[in-house]
Amino acid sequence: MSQARAGGKKKVGVGSTKRQLAYLSMVAPGVVFLLLFNYLPMPGIILAFKNYMMKVAPAGSFIKNTFLYSLFTSEWNGIKNFTYLLKEAPMLLRNTVGYNLLFMVVGLFLQVGLAVIINELRNRKTAKVYHTIMFMPYFISWIVVMYALYAIIGDKGFINQMRTEPIRFYAGTARKYWPFFFLIAQIWKYTGQGSIIYLATITGLDEQLYEAAAIDGAGKWKQLMYITIPQLMPVIVMLQILAVGRIFNGDFDMFYTLPNGSGSLKQVTTTIDVYVYNTLKAGNLRNSFGYASAAAFFQSVVGFVLILITNLIVRRHQPEMALF
Amino acid sequence: MAKRNDSLANNLISKKANLILNIILLIGCFLTIMPLWLIVSASFTENAVLTQYGYRMWPMRFSTLAYTYLFQSGSIIVTAYKNTIVATVVGTVLATVTVGLYAYALSRPDFKFRRFFTFFSFFTMLFGGGMVSYYAMMRNVLGLKDTVWALFLPMSFSAYWVIIMRTFYTSNVPESLIESARIDGSGEWRTLIQIVTPLAIPGFATVALFSAIGIWNDFRQCLLLNDSSYFYNLQYTIYQTMNNLQFMKENASKMGGANVSNLPTESFRMAMAVVTVGPIILAYPFFQQYFIKGLTVGAVKG
Repeated sequence: MSQARAGGKKKVGVGSTKRQLAYLSMVAPGVVFLLLFNYLPMPGIILAFKNYMMKVAPAGSFIKNTFLYSLFTSEWNGIKNFTYLLKEAPMLLRNTVGYNLLFMVVGLFLQVGLAVIINELRNRKTAKVYHTIMFMPYFISWIVVMYALYAIIGDKGFINQMRTEPIRFYAGTARKYWPFFFLIAQIWKYTGQGSIIYLATITGLDEQLYEAAAIDGAGKWKQLMYITIPQLMPVIVMLQILAVGRIFNGDFDMFYTLPNGSGSLKQVTTTIDVYVYNTLKAGNLRNSFGYASAAAFFQSVVGFVLILITNLIVRRHQPEMALF
Repeated sequence: MAKRNDSLANNLISKKANLILNIILLIGCFLTIMPLWLIVSASFTENAVLTQYGYRMWPMRFSTLAYTYLFQSGSIIVTAYKNTIVATVVGTVLATVTVGLYAYALSRPDFKFRRFFTFFSFFTMLFGGGMVSYYAMMRNVLGLKDTVWALFLPMSFSAYWVIIMRTFYTSNVPESLIESARIDGSGEWRTLIQIVTPLAIPGFATVALFSAIGIWNDFRQCLLLNDSSYFYNLQYTIYQTMNNLQFMKENASKMGGANVSNLPTESFRMAMAVVTVGPIILAYPFFQQYFIKGLTVGAVKG
């Protein structure tokens, strides 16, 4: 990589304009995609500070599109949309940040654990089979997971058909179980996938370290605590810091689908993303676009700042692992 | 004694520890498969038995009726299947081509605007306009509402894949090869197509699979952009079926003219989930190695 970059310092020779044009034509299609689907929505973030009113553009107006016209002509209303959010904020923050922290801690423990175990097993071929099976849920959509959960905890589900007194898990009275269900679902879907990067790091470690330790009489447990874990530390720290940068983003598909639309569970299932979508779709609010945008604005901007900060920290301590 | 020596000399865990760890992982594998197996089992169970006795690991009374309903012509699942397949195929081809081209230019040290275009794509990983603005722009400005385009166009390019692909080029395609092609008078496009592409096939496969799985499993784009069931994809169709009995009733006629009371609702739902996830599980053993490569590369960045 660095060699290739160093090569770039070479003088650009004859035919260079033609070459630059060829390169530009290669990035062109990608640029179109990025502009349309990533950059176009960015200015819309000002909705957070507007009292959005739909107005049809008058004839002869510079902007013909109804949404764009309304976006730019709706009146500014300062931070009113944000103050509207205040009463929901504690619940939203608790759910979004709380769940993320829980998933991070438990996930880290299980993913590193799985990687270590897979690496240590004496039967290498079976170990690979185990890993292949546990990696599979990563490819299964949350909607199918919602079906599986329903088959397990539904009124006639696997758990309830074994009980004489069925529990109605989708009712508000079963609220206390839901953090546990989300955690299990996260573990099920991401443990195998998350362990891949740790496993790749472990298998890349120098075998001699372990041999030397074994000769000095260090058992497997000591080797784990004094070689493997310290060697994994940079990767662990980097991945956790990056996860902190995304702490206000929840797994929308999971939180939105698993509760099966149960309104009485809202207190424990509404994260910021879910709230944004529900507010956006709520027809009874006068300024649903504005309110939803305020929540989304918070998420985008605070998330952006968090990533910048976390990257700064990573760059100071592990420069080669920083994102930029 | 001999056993102890064996594990110490080769620096392996003891046989007893090995056995315990094997058992732990076997339980883990069982718990991984069990929820999916439960769906499969329910889809082959007679509906009456299912509603009366509940979900079990093995069908109490075997029936394939749910699948018969599912594949009757004109059923909503057939429409959803068509939409999903079209979106997956077209979207994957688009993703592979656009990402392949973009990443190649970024991998070239003699591309003057390399830094700018790297940042141009990377910035989208850090900042977005938010769901509301996206919703409004896609529907009202780009006119993606109620189209098949909505099911794949927004997912046909990703800065993350660009990083993976660029790493593949720089690590798998020797600079000297490109140099010598240039000396032989080959233009940049011809070098890319004839010399570089054959060497970067594993990279293309990784991007293609990431995008194919992403489009096949997509739920959010369809939720946000498509209101008419004519343009639903698989995931959103089965989401609606679970959530909304009304949706099922309204579409009962499209489920082969059955009247609603005859419709094997529970096993029918589960059969829908099976046909949705089936192709992925069947193809999984063949593609998982590419994902392992992609995930390792992506995490260590290019």
